[in-house]
Amino acid sequence: MGSKDMTNRVEIAAGDRPVKEINRDIRSQVQAGKPIVVTNTMSRHNLGVGLPASADILFEGSVGYYCGGLNDGARIHVTRDCGWGVGEAMATGDITIDGYAGMSVGASMRGGTIHVKGDAGPRCGVAMKGGDIIVEGTIGYLSGFMAHAGRIIALGGANDAAADSLWGGEVWVAGPIGSLGVDSKIIEPAPTEVASVEKLLAQRGLDGPGRDWQKIVSAQRLWHFESRDARAWLMI
Amino acid sequence: MADDLKTPWEYPFESATEELIGFADGAIDGRPAGIPSSYDRGGSIRWTPESISEIHALSQLGRYQIRGFNTFNKSFPTLDDLVFVPATMTRLPLEGYRESCDTRTVLGDRPGLVEQPLELDIPIYIASMSFGALSAPAKAALGYGASKVGSMTCTGEGGMLEDERRASRTLVYQMTPSRYMLDLEHLRKANAIELVVGQGAKPGTGGLLLGMKVSDRVADMRSLPTGVDQRSTVRHPDFLGADDMQIKIEELREATDYQVPIFLKMGATRPRWDVAIAAKAGVDVIVVDGAEGGTGASPELLMDHTGIPTMSAIPAAREALEDCGKADEVKLVAAGGIRSGADAAKCLALGADAVMVGLGSMIALGCNSPRYLESYQTLGTSPGRCHHCHTGLCPVGVATQDPELESRVDVAAASERVARYLTAMTMEISLLAKSCGKSSVHNLEKEDLRALSTEASAFTGVKMAGIDKPFTW
Repeated sequence: MGSKDMTNRVEIAAGDRPVKEINRDIRSQVQAGKPIVVTNTMSRHNLGVGLPASADILFEGSVGYYCGGLNDGARIHVTRDCGWGVGEAMATGDITIDGYAGMSVGASMRGGTIHVKGDAGPRCGVAMKGGDIIVEGTIGYLSGFMAHAGRIIALGGANDAAADSLWGGEVWVAGPIGSLGVDSKIIEPAPTEVASVEKLLAQRGLDGPGRDWQKIVSAQRLWHFESRDARAWLMI
Repeated sequence: MADDLKTPWEYPFESATEELIGFADGAIDGRPAGIPSSYDRGGSIRWTPESISEIHALSQLGRYQIRGFNTFNKSFPTLDDLVFVPATMTRLPLEGYRESCDTRTVLGDRPGLVEQPLELDIPIYIASMSFGALSAPAKAALGYGASKVGSMTCTGEGGMLEDERRASRTLVYQMTPSRYMLDLEHLRKANAIELVVGQGAKPGTGGLLLGMKVSDRVADMRSLPTGVDQRSTVRHPDFLGADDMQIKIEELREATDYQVPIFLKMGATRPRWDVAIAAKAGVDVIVVDGAEGGTGASPELLMDHTGIPTMSAIPAAREALEDCGKADEVKLVAAGGIRSGADAAKCLALGADAVMVGLGSMIALGCNSPRYLESYQTLGTSPGRCHHCHTGLCPVGVATQDPELESRVDVAAASERVARYLTAMTMEISLLAKSCGKSSVHNLEKEDLRALSTEASAFTGVKMAGIDKPFTW
């Protein structure tokens, strides 16, 4: 979890400077081992891309697309909203968004944790291959689309076509589900799995009394070419 | 009467046995229906043995057929419809065996955006083919062979294979929509990054790898269950249109600190518009893959009925770059059915800066070579006709994940054949270029070509032989 503590943070003002310059400033402070606060973020795209585990960054304001993309261990905290693809392809690390997140949160991420305090847009966790996405609000339509592994945990419900065409992985929803996506099914989670999810949430200060979990997994009918699945295929 | 129509409809049959559905009654052993060689040659040009066999196959399977290799559509024009017109009185040839012809090829030379452009010794490189579609020894041999002659390879879908990175001096890392095993370290180890929005054999659809080839190692790299029929996504997970892609390209440049070029690979469909949009989005190299391009597995109808010929795509792509003022900044790579130096030289003359060879390089590795005949027979095929890459039962170990089959690739020998194939192709290109009076293969131009058919002239704008005028509409 990224800290909002401002003490000792080196300030980098984003503004309308070239993103190449802003990111070079960020990388050089990371190399110097300094925690960073980026101010006047102006929803700029591609801030804090491909950073290592030693990075600790607070973005004061909103950020654009691909913030924390290809993250390799950095702790990133955004105090307002973020655009598409936050934390896309993250290998490891921790990203917290205090506000809302746009489309494709954590697209194809392989590890680490993304925590969105507001709602997340469509295709949250699309093609993800590991790690955890926690959304305190609702997740948009087609969330978890063709995900391979990992967990998406939505506390405020899921929109239509939830967990569409999952290969693997899990979509946990506490709250209403608009509709299930193709080839997904709701199963009863084991108590140990519930405990693991609740523990993760508690670490984020999200411990709550007895949530009514719906765990969505792949129905595995689209894993293989079979003519008997023609109807399911035609739906895609 | 009207009431009859309200009777609920019911399917009156119990499920028939698979044997009967498969025409097993009265069939000759080893010659089942659905296999073209089970039919005698008839006279109809419409209902050929192939089209009859196709319907028998569809009516048994209840789905489209899948296979590897490339298009079998006989209506595609070929580069054989173009010939070079070497220097005679209007131009002076160079001495074929004494004067030199520059074959060096630079891709991604954009100061400020790319610190390390790719410098190849030859204008040919190995097309993007995944580890998964190809075996690990085949990927390594392509890497060693290409590197030996100063060329490069591309990872294809499915992540960076250590064997290939070790083997390849220059390696393009492909980012397909599925983003299997996308890793920052791998991105930074690559010499270029290629965003894929389509491929020539099956534009508008994602990758396909049947379960027989999804081995433990492949599954592990792709985070998939072993043995599933992998159908990859076709749309990228985090961008949709060109405006978003422009931001994505900037992200990739940031992640790699503006060191390496960014390629974009597309299937040839509407190159006049698609290439202009890609160039405007900011990529450094555009790969246009014609419909003759190969694939490890595809619905057969896509290979045969989608996309436009390589020959027609190159001039359109070149004109698009010129029209949008990007010809000096963005390089054009052509691919799809390129077999020889003559084919490659024609592509350069039509406007490509370099060409990719996929199936050609596989054939150099040993694909369709007359060895292990019993393995071909198991597949019901023979050397020279095999197109069974999709089965994972490649008789020569190139397109398989089976440990026993893949051991049939002798990496040292196969590497040498790839190196010699690329060398021979380059010699062929420079032989043609010198005969046309060119001291660099990149000086080949449309004026060096003439068309043998109105079709070839109409597709390319190349002048008709003799009459010296292009087909006009």
